[in-house]
Amino acid sequence: MGGAGEMNATGNIPELIVNGKRLDGRAFDEMRPIKIVAGGLKNAAGSAYIEWGNNKILAAVYGPKEALPKHTQDPEKAVIKCRYSMAPFSSLEEHGRSGPNRRAIEISKVTREVFENVIIREDFPGSEIDIYVEVLQSDGGTRAAGITTAAVALATSGIPMTDLPYAVSVGKTGEHLILDLNKAEDNYSDADMPVAIGPRNDSILLLQMDGTLTKEEVMRGMSMIKKAGQTITKLQKEALRAPYESIMDRYK
Amino acid sequence: MSRIVVPGELLADKPIRMEAGFIEGNNTYSTLLGIYHEEKGVLVPLEGLWYPQRGDIVIGIVEEARLNAYNIELNSPYKGIIIAKFVETRLQRGDVIEAEVKEIDETKTVVLMRPKKLFGGKIFDVKPSKIPRIIGKQNTMVDQIRNGTKSVIMVGMNGRVWLKGGNVALATEAVLKIVEEAHTTGLTERIKALLGPQSQPQQGV
Repeated sequence: MGGAGEMNATGNIPELIVNGKRLDGRAFDEMRPIKIVAGGLKNAAGSAYIEWGNNKILAAVYGPKEALPKHTQDPEKAVIKCRYSMAPFSSLEEHGRSGPNRRAIEISKVTREVFENVIIREDFPGSEIDIYVEVLQSDGGTRAAGITTAAVALATSGIPMTDLPYAVSVGKTGEHLILDLNKAEDNYSDADMPVAIGPRNDSILLLQMDGTLTKEEVMRGMSMIKKAGQTITKLQKEALRAPYESIMDRYK
Repeated sequence: MSRIVVPGELLADKPIRMEAGFIEGNNTYSTLLGIYHEEKGVLVPLEGLWYPQRGDIVIGIVEEARLNAYNIELNSPYKGIIIAKFVETRLQRGDVIEAEVKEIDETKTVVLMRPKKLFGGKIFDVKPSKIPRIIGKQNTMVDQIRNGTKSVIMVGMNGRVWLKGGNVALATEAVLKIVEEAHTTGLTERIKALLGPQSQPQQGV
């Protein structure tokens, strides 16, 4: 596997690093701007919306409610059902014309597993919690943004959790490690590693990898992710506090 | 000092047993979005679900009338049930009842007792975490609404409010205002202003 520069010799692959900056002018360890809004959907138990660069994602949580069909119930704890889906208009490529595809099923599964590890499920035996992640506009890194949004939506629903997870990806192009890949970088970089982390004890809740990274690069990537995570966690907390603080400020 | 905390946030570096908190190692963490009062060591949930407890008054809807029991819908993941022989008049599907939690059995089914049928009126769901504020300390808030609107109001711990008679529109407005501003101080005064002077208990009655 060659570096981006080498592949560029074929004339098909764009140069991802120009003058020491990335295509959108970011530094190697710089995230795209993030805006999170908690709440917004009246019918859902909890909801949140994120604008992460050009990604626009809506997450909604329903339940806990009786798990149906009944054979899916677990008499000891709640089951979590997760649906990640991309709107047909969300991407430059085609999406969502014929139900969930292989990719959507995979992302639904990994998202579900992130939250199975943080939700206190033993409180609600026999019930289900539905998490919906709807991608309205996509620009790479939607599974990470979706997990970050769903965590905020779950917090607004009042479902007890041991942690407020966040996710972000790290990748490699040439010899550079880059944080928070956008679509072009995702498609043409040498490696892409989305990671979800529970910030309370830095537990790893999701770790996937496309391409190859050395052990040393993975460790360096993880420290970039944890550093970025402090910013994401701060934004998540601010989003959760904002609706309450605005009412408190009204009566100061 | 009080502050808004999120799930997984550190509350104290010593183990303190509290509602909506959990202990890991030597630390106490929050499981919910709530307001933590540091001196009192109390976490008041801003968003939370209803955990049935013996003695809770709830408002339910009869979901199914069986021969020897009724299934009651309680706006929660827990199923409600009333044994038919403790019910004086036969209930029907769709009836609204107020009842008391007798026990929670091993399958987490909520067994209810002393059902009281509610006729007519208006019923709506609110967040269960706001219910203590709607009731108020020693029922002050709910009494204020009762006096101010002359409505009959029933508040279920499962997050249901039932209203009938009097100025229902004003009572609804008051309840929704309490729900929205439950975490602020001086709310009793603002509800008093909303309801007008007759909301105060009369002297010598």
